Amino acid sequence: MKIALAGNPNSGKTTLFNAITGRVEHVGNWPGVTVEKKEGDVKQNLNPKKENLTVVDLPGAYSMSPYTSEESITREFVLTEKPDVIINIVDTANLNRSLFFTTQLLELGIPVVIALNKSDLTETKGITIDIQGLSDALKCPVIKTVATASVNNGLPELIDAAITVGKSGRKQVSPKISGAQNAADEQQAAKADEKRYAFVNEIAAEVERRKLSSEQQTVQDSVDRIIAHKWLGIPIFAAVIWFVFSVSQTWVGPWFADTFVGWIDLLYESVAELLGEDVNPVISALLLDGIIGGVGAVIGFLPLIMVLFFCLALLEDCGYMARVAVIMDRFLKKVGLSGRSIIPMVVGTGCGIPGVMATRTIKNERQRRTTAMLATFMPCGAKLPIIALFAGVFFGDNSWVGTSMYFLGIIVIIFGALIVRKITGDYSQSYFIMELPEYRFPSIKRAVISMLMRAKAFIVKAGTIILVCNAAVQILQTFDWELQVVAESAPETSILAGIATPLAILFIPLGFGLWQFAAAAVTGFIAKENVVGTLAVCFGITNFIDTEELALVGSGAEVSSVFGITAVAGLSYLVFNLFTPPCFAAIGAMNSELESRKWLAGAIAFQLGTGYVLAFLVYQIGTFMTTGSVGEGFAGGFIAVAAIVAAVVYLMNKGGKQTETVAEMGSAKI
Amino acid sequence: MMSLAKGKLNTPYTVHSINTTQDDLRQFLFTLGCYPGERVTIISKLPANYIINIKDARYSIDEDLANAIMI
Repeated sequence: MKIALAGNPNSGKTTLFNAITGRVEHVGNWPGVTVEKKEGDVKQNLNPKKENLTVVDLPGAYSMSPYTSEESITREFVLTEKPDVIINIVDTANLNRSLFFTTQLLELGIPVVIALNKSDLTETKGITIDIQGLSDALKCPVIKTVATASVNNGLPELIDAAITVGKSGRKQVSPKISGAQNAADEQQAAKADEKRYAFVNEIAAEVERRKLSSEQQTVQDSVDRIIAHKWLGIPIFAAVIWFVFSVSQTWVGPWFADTFVGWIDLLYESVAELLGEDVNPVISALLLDGIIGGVGAVIGFLPLIMVLFFCLALLEDCGYMARVAVIMDRFLKKVGLSGRSIIPMVVGTGCGIPGVMATRTIKNERQRRTTAMLATFMPCGAKLPIIALFAGVFFGDNSWVGTSMYFLGIIVIIFGALIVRKITGDYSQSYFIMELPEYRFPSIKRAVISMLMRAKAFIVKAGTIILVCNAAVQILQTFDWELQVVAESAPETSILAGIATPLAILFIPLGFGLWQFAAAAVTGFIAKENVVGTLAVCFGITNFIDTEELALVGSGAEVSSVFGITAVAGLSYLVFNLFTPPCFAAIGAMNSELESRKWLAGAIAFQLGTGYVLAFLVYQIGTFMTTGSVGEGFAGGFIAVAAIVAAVVYLMNKGGKQTETVAEMGSAKI
Repeated sequence: MMSLAKGKLNTPYTVHSINTTQDDLRQFLFTLGCYPGERVTIISKLPANYIINIKDARYSIDEDLANAIMI
């Protein structure tokens, strides 16, 4: 039996889905978190008769007439896949609006069960709902649920009701509202919708009693006025991000990291002892330096990332993220995006792939594509080890490094959006509208689960892709082109050095023209965590975050001397890795969301150009400021950067001409 | 008749019409309950954004949209 979960955005569908199936899909207290359908089986304790029950979590929709592409997913699924039962999640605090979608679902003939979710809010909000009256009026079972509660949450009753109506074989009888969904023309459809709302208003008036009017000012409204204030909004946002970084990288994270690194050290020593002296040095180097050293270097940063994810999950859960979209709207609008574009960027701080996919919630095609190509400029979880490493090695663990990379990401996105708008010549505006979820105390349990899930994904990746990459890097570094083991004194004769050296020449103007850095940047395209792992392997530093030796708690002086580059060049390398194209998987997501080879090629070229230009500026300006003269390779780099800038300017001017053509064709400024 | 952007705080107004050429936007607002005859209240005026109440929910809308909603 296939059960579909459908309802308005932010009504608690994914929370309910997780509670029913035991899955741990990403939830957030804001609309538009789920952008694709997810399937899972009902947990055994909710399904004692061991029925074959599959539950499908669908993206939120306000109506069966889709406005954005993720709403289309819901409509398509319900109409074409014909689930056996639809559980319609209705937000108790928003009965009237939610029932509009309900009436549309009831007309499909598929049995419907209503989950009156967030019913724990009825007391605090002074809402009383006549459950029986509602069930009678809609001709379907109505069950009160609290998806966030572990007991008395109404879920057993909900699944039971779904099984009963699903097995009955009876078609859903819809309330008598004249006018069907598939009305012949738009006018008829509009009339049918009006009648639907009239019917909904009638029912709501009958079954719902409110002690407090929702129009009254609340404490939450006062908080919104401060958080989204003209002058305070951005500083508060900056302070929140800085605080999150401080907690994860300066206060709590390193404390966990120390313990963790101790374990990695222990493993390294135990394996070294096991292997003994007689083992082939190539094998021992591959195992110890390549696999344990490389993977360990990445895993060593896991505690910092977990703490960061924990903090971000709390932020998402409390409802602050939707306000960030409101704060950013006025700035993003000026560059041709909308506040909704911030959502993919925020989601992208966890991982770029769902970040790029979240662009589906944006209606305007150019805004959607622009956001998809720019969203990965926000540092994702995989880029955090790079930030943490370079902050630790060169900048004494200062949390401003991470924070400034986030804000640099936002600035790059703003400039990028301006450039894309100019190139496409599309100046169309779109309206911004976003439902504001209620603030609530974030759930520690949910944040822990979210943190563990992301940590699990990180470990799996470290144990697969990164392990293979590090082993490959170790092998390529061990042998030369004649497949002889490279002498320790001549690492530059290895295959890896041979492949990476020509690339390294391009990086001289950026301050890191060494083959090791070039190799790490290249493996970074497979997965960004590889940057740290490859550097560990290439420089033969098996442990970046040893408390005695280096980075995250020490001075980092030793590593910086091994790297042999200045702090300015270190910052340049960090910027280069953060602002060049993301990993292959994220590029794959960009490919599917952009739906255009031309846009994809443009996006990758733009990202490569951005990374190069930014790293050049950071290194040359930084070197000039610290030493009084420009860095090595300035002239060559300047020519390359000038060529990139000239190409962009040429395309921007070409786009300008297109605008005039479009304007002549009478494109409506919407 | 005036646009919602000119409305006063905490005063329930009745939506008169949606002044837009975009039918799908009008349809979308309709699904949220923002259509002629329904009540709308401005809760807060923020820089370039308004927080409004429609059918028991809070929405943030930009100035352009506030100008398009006629009350």
